[in-house]
Amino acid sequence: MSAAELAADLAEITERLRRVTVQVRAGARGLGGGVVWLRHGLVITNAHVAAQPRLEVVLPDGRSLPGRLVARDPRRDLAAVALPTGDISAAPRVDARGLRAGELLVALGHPLGVANAASLGVVHRAANGMSGPAGWLQAAIRLAPGNSGGPIADARGRVAGISAMIVGGLGIAVPSHVVEQFVRESGVGERGGARAA
Amino acid sequence: MSAPSNGGALAALSDNLAAAVETAGRSVVAIHARRRIPASGVVWQSGVVVGAHHTIQRDDDIGITLHDGTTVPATLAGRDPSTDLAVLRLAGPAEGAPAVAPASDPVRVGQLMLALGRPGSAVTASLGIVSAVGGEWRTWQGGTIDQFVRLDLSIYDGFSGGPLVNAGGRVAGINTSGLARAAAVTVPSRTVERVVKQLLERGHVARGWLGIATQPVRLPPALRRSAGAEAEVGLVVVNVEPESPADRGGVLIGDVLLALDDRPVADPGDVMAALGAERIGRPAVLRVARGGRAEQLSVTVGERPRVRR
Repeated sequence: MSAAELAADLAEITERLRRVTVQVRAGARGLGGGVVWLRHGLVITNAHVAAQPRLEVVLPDGRSLPGRLVARDPRRDLAAVALPTGDISAAPRVDARGLRAGELLVALGHPLGVANAASLGVVHRAANGMSGPAGWLQAAIRLAPGNSGGPIADARGRVAGISAMIVGGLGIAVPSHVVEQFVRESGVGERGGARAA
Repeated sequence: MSAPSNGGALAALSDNLAAAVETAGRSVVAIHARRRIPASGVVWQSGVVVGAHHTIQRDDDIGITLHDGTTVPATLAGRDPSTDLAVLRLAGPAEGAPAVAPASDPVRVGQLMLALGRPGSAVTASLGIVSAVGGEWRTWQGGTIDQFVRLDLSIYDGFSGGPLVNAGGRVAGINTSGLARAAAVTVPSRTVERVVKQLLERGHVARGWLGIATQPVRLPPALRRSAGAEAEVGLVVVNVEPESPADRGGVLIGDVLLALDDRPVADPGDVMAALGAERIGRPAVLRVARGGRAEQLSVTVGERPRVRR
């Protein structure tokens, strides 16, 4: 593998990630990221980003849509936002419990208001079966406020988790399997459930 | 969902890094010898674990968790605060603890490096590059480190005592946050090897000792003339340990040390550097300025008393 191939690959994966990453604006309360989880218009972000029922969501193509908060779980720091749109690309996913320490990770987000900024790091410790943040994905990667809600993906561009917090310099992400549980349990995965009224 | 890509250079590199962590991670252990989270350690040779001295806060009742999850008792073979290393012997069978494979190539600037740890049951990793490489240096506690290795790499809680690993899973040294205030430092394998040998043989690292504390002082021109000093700076003696070699050799508080064995000294580190283990029991000639005149004192270098912690 050459450095040029690596650079081209990284650029391509980052671009693919950008196409499934949105901005979530909660009025004047600031800006976070979000991931298009289901193609009928369901966006996943952090509960602490989606702090109000009506949100503004900026799509990867620049369109700004009104988003409606349809589920929120502060314990898992997750929220689901429904968009009034029919067909947008959803993110491919990977189970973060199957990642290995040392694997490369790419995070995309809007740290300190800079839209779609990428950072590169590695798996510090994979997600495990433990419930709560102790079992979440730990990434040795540089994040900042504004990365919250954005995706962390593996070297194949598959989303492994949702950036949620920084602890001791480590990026902590809600792993994808916890997001799947949340979507299932809150019933927002159904097309009708997510449709904006 | 679009189909994920399976190949690509980035994915191949990622798989290599994970494999390097897996290979080297078998030799990375958790050391339970402090209250908070466990610290990391490395199986350096069969049955022998190296950790960071500052993370091992008790001498007894030490447990070590191996990569396979088993925890075995260990005994402390010795510690060397000057290089922040400690050596432990596994008390139980060590089949689950293979020794590390040392890197044969020299460390180069720009090389990708992983820092591994095991502050619990799982191995943890962080990625960066070697940002600078230099020559031999001396820690503030007086230890000699064979090579200066600066990393552009984040070191997280519990990493001290863990290895610096290249992309091939080979170990280049042991990382610690205990030797510099702001940054992580890697103690290169050559230094670890030397310290491990001494600690296993003697339980401590012997160092020469005079028993003085000094600080640099600018020499006034008149004193330089009268004492025949070439350098502009000398070391004023601010403490003399009772019954120390310096005390027995007649060194007094207020003497200004100008040279040690005819080599000018301008920094307390210069004195430390001249006091290797090979000097123990041999005379050293101290040239001091006392009362405006130069005097020669002969001091038999002693062995530095064991530091408790």
